[in-house]
Amino acid sequence: MNKTININLGGLFFHIDEMAFQKLKRYLDTIRHSLSDDSKGCDEIIADIELRISELLSGKIKDPRQVIGEADIDEVIGIMGQPEDYVFEDEPLNDHQKYSTQYQNYNQKKLFRDGDDKFLGGVAAGIGHYFGIEPIWIRLIWLLLAFAGFGFLLYIILWILVPVAKTTAEKLQMEGEAVNISTIERKIRDEFQDVSQRAKKGFDEASEKVKEGFKDAKTRVNQNQIKSGFQEFIDVIGKIFTTFFLVIGKFIGILLIIVSVATLIGLGVGLFAAGSLDLSGFDWFWLGDANFINTTGLPIWAVSIMVFLLVGIPFLMLFFLGMFILSSRSKTPGRITWYVLLGLWLITIITTIFFSVKQSANYAYNGSFIENNPIELAQIDTLSIAMVDNQDFSNYGYLRKRNGFKRVYTNDNKAKLYANAIRLNIAVADGDSSYVKIRKEGQGRNRALAQSNAKNIEYHFALNGKTLNLDGFFLTNDGLNSIDKVLDITILIPKNKIIYIDKSTQSFLRHIENTDNTFDGDLPKHLYKMTLSGLECLDCK
Amino acid sequence: MKIENTKAQMRKGVLEYCILTVLKHGDAYTSEILEHLKGAKLIVVEGTIYPLLTRLKNSGLLNYRWEESTSGPPRKYYGLTENGRLFLKGLETTWEELVAAVNLLTQIKNT
Repeated sequence: MNKTININLGGLFFHIDEMAFQKLKRYLDTIRHSLSDDSKGCDEIIADIELRISELLSGKIKDPRQVIGEADIDEVIGIMGQPEDYVFEDEPLNDHQKYSTQYQNYNQKKLFRDGDDKFLGGVAAGIGHYFGIEPIWIRLIWLLLAFAGFGFLLYIILWILVPVAKTTAEKLQMEGEAVNISTIERKIRDEFQDVSQRAKKGFDEASEKVKEGFKDAKTRVNQNQIKSGFQEFIDVIGKIFTTFFLVIGKFIGILLIIVSVATLIGLGVGLFAAGSLDLSGFDWFWLGDANFINTTGLPIWAVSIMVFLLVGIPFLMLFFLGMFILSSRSKTPGRITWYVLLGLWLITIITTIFFSVKQSANYAYNGSFIENNPIELAQIDTLSIAMVDNQDFSNYGYLRKRNGFKRVYTNDNKAKLYANAIRLNIAVADGDSSYVKIRKEGQGRNRALAQSNAKNIEYHFALNGKTLNLDGFFLTNDGLNSIDKVLDITILIPKNKIIYIDKSTQSFLRHIENTDNTFDGDLPKHLYKMTLSGLECLDCK
Repeated sequence: MKIENTKAQMRKGVLEYCILTVLKHGDAYTSEILEHLKGAKLIVVEGTIYPLLTRLKNSGLLNYRWEESTSGPPRKYYGLTENGRLFLKGLETTWEELVAAVNLLTQIKNT
């Protein structure tokens, strides 16, 4: 069903289908355009052509109520020829071709800027329409290009060069819809609704004002003027606020998009790298310290995917939110997509919780194992306490207490975990003998396992001449259930013994009692005498 | 150099000559002229004729008058002016010369 239009063609009256009318009008317009260099003769030629078309059409009409359809127009055009056939000049052929393509392209897409769905100039929306892509993706590309540096310039150039779609026909061409009456009508209806709503709102406001105006007129004219002036002021303020919040909103939108995109890209790159490295059998631990060891038995690529989903999905939602803020017309994904995303996220959370519990179960029990190693100090007048590292295991520039661990290989090629989390205390012994007390702490799924894990910690020290060389590290077995937090070492010295604290112990010292209440870190490089109330400095100023 | 261009050039000259020839025997309205030309397969689509007629008229070779029609819109009857007749005479001579020349040349080639 189509509307019909009444036209006067060559002095005759025709009922013509809207589609057919558009086609005919386009046809005549194109001919006029192609003849336009002969402006004087043009009108006359068009009149002749209209006359002939009228003649041809009247030959088809048997009943005055009959409506001219598209097929009739097609037939007439077939008889009359394409617009380029009208140009019979000595012009170069290229021009003819130009006309012909222009005509044929009427139903094809053309690049316009979209004034209705614009963020800046509507360039992205226009490009989106042209390629049939959602404008948000184009905007994203613009954003990336803007970071690359030349995007901004390119945007400005396009802004200037690409015309904005003003007429309905242009808008339809922009969106690639066939320019025919039904689509035009739909478009116009949409716009009219928009306008009518705005008009209604405006009308309501106006009537409100009129009412108020009447009220005021009843009281006093003077007051009325003041009031309307005040109202205008309020209106202006309101407008400023609206604009302000709009701008702020867009800014927040941009921020959301930038942050979420950056996060997603970062996550993607990082975890893809991690996952693929893991898949290719890469040994992580040389990368450096790790504070977390995966004891769940899950491969790292699976963990990567889980982390990606866990963090990525909320950011993806933020991204859509940002897009929505930027342009309420940009399509956010449908309901189903949201549900799928939400569901996926919940599944990931549950999985994560499950594996977290499993992982933490491995640390459920603490076990400790204490060694008391007597050392003979009677022959030594001044004992030097130092900590040493094993250069085979660590490439650290200097030895200090560190959290975390790394995988190392012993001389017999066994994988071990190397850690520096040692706390060193120096205290007064009960009797005359000296001890190195080592408290090893381990964790495990059950108490026995925790205890055996504690026992398995490898730690050594040696008395070399006047120096007590303590290892600055300890080793544990590689693999599951072998993670230990700290190793506590207490050196018990009888009172009145003189000791020297070497610089190497600096970061390991912890809560060492001393008579001057010196901070642990300041203790090294001095001579001390052990007293009942702790160390007493002999060479401090 | 495109063949379409050359063809168009050739046909254009001949077309003007033919329109004038059609009108030599009496006035005719556009559709009649078109029927003759289409019958002779000189043109395929009608569009070509309108700019030509207008130009010939504007050059003073043709004039026209309106006549009411019973079955359709008013008709534009074209006729030759004095100038048109002289112009046509000149063209006829040229055409015969051209035909003779072309025949002669193509025959030489053929034999």
